[in-house]
Amino acid sequence: MTRYRYDDDDVVAIVGSGAGGGTLAHELVQAGHKVVILEAGRHHEPEEFVNDEWRSFKQLAWLDTRTTSGSFRIAQDFPHLPAWTCKTVGGTTVHWAGCCPRFMEHEFKASTYYDGIDGVNALDWPISLADLEPYYDRAEAKLGLTGTNGIPQLPANNNYKVFANGAQRVGYKRFHTGRYACNPVPRDDRPATIQDGFPFQGSKNRSRWSTLYTEIPRALATGKLDLRPQCHVIRVETDDQGLATGVTYVDGDGLEQFQRARIVAVAGNAIETPRLLLNSATSRCPDGLANSSGQLGCNYMRHLTASVYGIFDKPVRMYRGETMAGHIEDEAPHDPARGFVGGYYLQLLSLGVPFMAAFVNPGAWGRDFTSFMEGYENMAGLWLVGEDMPQQTNRVTLNHDELDQFGQPVPNVHFDDHPNDLAMREHAWSAGEALYESVGAVRTIRTPPYPATHNIGTARMSERPADGVVNRFGQAHDVPNLFVSDASQFTTGAAANPTLTIVALAIRQAEYITDGLRSGSIPTGHAVWDGRDPGGPAPDSATTPATAPADQPA
Amino acid sequence: MSEPLSDHARETTLRVARVMYPHDALPDEAYEKVVRAVEAEASGNDAVRSTVEQATAALDDPTPFAQRDAGAQLQALRDAGGTPYFHLVRATAVVELYDNPLVWRAFGYEGPSVHLGGYVNRGFDDLDWLPDPPIALDTGAGSHHTAGGAR
Repeated sequence: MTRYRYDDDDVVAIVGSGAGGGTLAHELVQAGHKVVILEAGRHHEPEEFVNDEWRSFKQLAWLDTRTTSGSFRIAQDFPHLPAWTCKTVGGTTVHWAGCCPRFMEHEFKASTYYDGIDGVNALDWPISLADLEPYYDRAEAKLGLTGTNGIPQLPANNNYKVFANGAQRVGYKRFHTGRYACNPVPRDDRPATIQDGFPFQGSKNRSRWSTLYTEIPRALATGKLDLRPQCHVIRVETDDQGLATGVTYVDGDGLEQFQRARIVAVAGNAIETPRLLLNSATSRCPDGLANSSGQLGCNYMRHLTASVYGIFDKPVRMYRGETMAGHIEDEAPHDPARGFVGGYYLQLLSLGVPFMAAFVNPGAWGRDFTSFMEGYENMAGLWLVGEDMPQQTNRVTLNHDELDQFGQPVPNVHFDDHPNDLAMREHAWSAGEALYESVGAVRTIRTPPYPATHNIGTARMSERPADGVVNRFGQAHDVPNLFVSDASQFTTGAAANPTLTIVALAIRQAEYITDGLRSGSIPTGHAVWDGRDPGGPAPDSATTPATAPADQPA
Repeated sequence: MSEPLSDHARETTLRVARVMYPHDALPDEAYEKVVRAVEAEASGNDAVRSTVEQATAALDDPTPFAQRDAGAQLQALRDAGGTPYFHLVRATAVVELYDNPLVWRAFGYEGPSVHLGGYVNRGFDDLDWLPDPPIALDTGAGSHHTAGGAR
């Protein structure tokens, strides 16, 4: 197992091992760079995963204290759980289902389409769909998406049969079993799905892509990656020129450590990433690292999110099979005639009995609720995922009144639904109800937003440094050897599930970092070593310098 | 270690859980799991224990909760809606009651499947009351990578 010294100033330090961090690490080590991943969670292998919603949640979810404020219902229902993300090697790629739509061209142009709407902090992305298309191609091949690269579609499961028949009857034209990152047939040294119905609890047979058993072990096999689980980064350190010098973290023994680095990349999800940078404030940057724009932590988006369940007079057994393998595109275009801007997808969804009870209508009790639960076997479900508006006041801040287990201020997530979000959700709920009624639902129920798995926008890309935190490559405007590598960098959220775009941007960012290190255009900070034991022998002089990438990727 | 709950508190809490989440076909055994979880909370925490004891005693005023008719029991819980005891029992019940294979079976949920090979050969696609729909996009439908409606 590769282990770099704490004072090795030749490493790229990556915070987080999910879709952004895990992919970036893989791409960088393949190009010959030395990488240290600091991952807050433990290293669980799929053999440890459980087909059990609550037990799995306790095993994988990020349960460190968070607080909430604002008018969104989550602040009442789940005041300490604004997001359902993961704290484990692989990050939230152990929990996601696999839905992978690309962004649409207009979704990179919020200023063009959404400017002038009250309360919307609209900004165009500094890149276009055309810039990202080659990287989408590579990401789709990496993730093994169904319907691409010669990979077949997943078959129709029970829940999809209801969903797609309803889609046909209400007149939708563009529906299918998804661009889905789960093997319908063996591929990439991973087996085909066994339709076990528990992707959210970790894919035990590895058929659904996760960095846990693809990018990370392949990166480790090169000997270039030093993976450090249970290492929670609390500060990015900077020198007197404002350049990053490394990261301070608390390791699994509770000891504070410093890892020197030539480049720091942060991929902790759109709540932890701004929290870390805000917590890295210095006298040079009292409002947080890389925050001269004042946008760090702002424009937090969590997608529309809502669900509709329909109960029928015959069995559905929606829990059997790939949970989200169904996708309707007809409501995704931008069509202001509907009374809102942006669009949404309808996607297949199932929850087991435990989570259905917890999330279908939090706080509900009595016979109306229990009669719904008794319809479980005859129930079909769908999820509504759409673009929510970037608002400057929806933001992640540090809550200095509550400290975490490391004595650091916890993140507070403030969120108010924008009127456009409310109008879109109303439309989407109605569309879902109409779909199920068209195939004979005897009862439908609208479910409010869940704790968000899509967390977006808190360190956004911008052309001008005054408008955002990072540039078109995720490089901080203020700190050229600091990168943001997760969905925090999204300028806007689009309607699409974010993972595919996170992976595409990480591949692109790795190329940029490799080019920048080769040309010397990315400066390096200077850390004076404080005299503590740097750990291990001196860096191996035979190690390939990161400026000269290996010819043959392993 | 404080004392566990009184028999009265346990029995009343079971009745309360049944009124909150009424499933007529479920045996008391399903609700006893809720009571055990409430008792586990109370046994480690004197404040919780006294909340439960006092609230269950108050529910007997003016007549014992267990002896009231269904409508009166429901009304008593509505009246107790904002109390710490109500929140404790409701939040505990909605997790404990539904996190139980006995209840899953009653609702037709089969639960863990990976040890049985998933559902790929066990009915993931056995719904037969609707026709088999297309699974792939009709390629004649055109690209969706456009803004759609004109601005």
